[in-house]
Amino acid sequence: MTDKGMSPKSLSPENLSPGNLSIDNALHGLEEFLRDRIAPAIEDPYVSPMARLSAMVLRICANSVDDAAELRVEENAAIRAILGEAVPLLPASIAGQCHDAATSRDPGLKISILDAENHRLRVLLVTAQAVLEDGIGPAAKALDQRIWQLLETVETKRAPRD
Amino acid sequence: MSSLEAQVAAYLAHRMPEAVGIVVDELGRIYGGSSQETFRFHATWKEGEISIDRRLILRRDATAGLVVAERDLEYNVYRALAGQGLPIPGVYFLELDAKWLDRPFFIMDMCPGKPGSPFVLTDPYDGHGTAIGEQYWSILGMLAAIDYKAVGLESLRNGAAPSGYWALELDRWEAILDENEALIEPAVRGAMRWLRRNPPPEPAKASIVHGDYRSGNFLFTEDGNISAILDWEMCHIGDPLEDVAWGLDPFWPITRHYPLDEGLARWEAASGIALDRAALDWWLLFTAVKACVIWTTAASGFASGKNREMTMALSGIRAGHFHRDLILKMMRTRGAMG
Repeated sequence: MTDKGMSPKSLSPENLSPGNLSIDNALHGLEEFLRDRIAPAIEDPYVSPMARLSAMVLRICANSVDDAAELRVEENAAIRAILGEAVPLLPASIAGQCHDAATSRDPGLKISILDAENHRLRVLLVTAQAVLEDGIGPAAKALDQRIWQLLETVETKRAPRD
Repeated sequence: MSSLEAQVAAYLAHRMPEAVGIVVDELGRIYGGSSQETFRFHATWKEGEISIDRRLILRRDATAGLVVAERDLEYNVYRALAGQGLPIPGVYFLELDAKWLDRPFFIMDMCPGKPGSPFVLTDPYDGHGTAIGEQYWSILGMLAAIDYKAVGLESLRNGAAPSGYWALELDRWEAILDENEALIEPAVRGAMRWLRRNPPPEPAKASIVHGDYRSGNFLFTEDGNISAILDWEMCHIGDPLEDVAWGLDPFWPITRHYPLDEGLARWEAASGIALDRAALDWWLLFTAVKACVIWTTAASGFASGKNREMTMALSGIRAGHFHRDLILKMMRTRGAMG
């Protein structure tokens, strides 16, 4: 393998061959087959709509494969950043945990590992926000509002793509 | 007869020893509904010289449903509300012994009509939206007007509580969320805290709450009459505004067919209760939270493999997002984002 073959440009998504049978490509193929060939051939009035729903679920899954890791890495980083900002406003009992989380890194890039880390960070975010809501002063209120804004951004990015 | 048809026939013979020549056929599962499995079937038999021909419904516990329902609850509610002027099916046999059909079930009348799906772009009520809307609100008002103790439903959840229904229901749904949530959702938890910090007033009258009263959970006939209110698995005692708010949720809004103010006026007239709009606003956010919890149980049931119905997966993914997004919009209007 030459250095030219490993250049960043050649690894960019737009340079992948359209013939690459990626995971999302294969899932889309399954979805189309289920929707267009299998579902119409099923006569059972219960199973037929279930087959169509299965195709819809497959499509949503297929559309979430490519950037699944990127989305979680970015979300975890955003939560860490806001937990770091919260540390000075929190009681010592949870400030230490939030500081540790804010300076932590994702332990791996498997989706299951990123999800577990995401859950851990979200639990801390819920705890911190509950404290901030009870806090007095503009700094606590402003950070509480920014957490809500972050939750809006997270939900928008995680919206199912049909 | 199929295996299940033969099992149902054997059960009917057990419950109706006077019946002769029981035949069960045309049994088929009905699409929709994820809390219980619903089957329609046709049964014929003779009692003396009289030939009986019935179209019936079998409601059987799912292996894992959207919510944790008490097994005999729906059957008991149907029995208690018979004769109260509400369109509901007649019920016959409740069976809790799993030896007959693997799981508990009950048998009831198959009512005429069809459901109107709230999830289609076309008119689900075939041009009868106004008539359906009028009946929808009047029937819900009639339900709120019923004295739950007088009909023997004080045994329902919260039936012995003197007050604090909102907190009892919020506690219940938070506990279900705690049990089923694999990935914590800060927006849902934040909305729950807001609901606790801003409680609604006590209801003017504690009422029977259907718990899932909405478009899609009733049947209507070709002439535009609501023929049956169904799906009472989440019935309990509480604030009647819980049902009012549930039907207004934008996932299945009855306001698509009938104007809000006219609907609420009909509900007030039928219930005899003056509706508190500020309290309704609290229950609208509660509705979105409760829906999120239900979708979480759907996702959990599917992920665990206990229930592989595709509606469970789709509810967990798509409906869950819809209601979290709705919560965020509601929290924005409440000033949460500044």
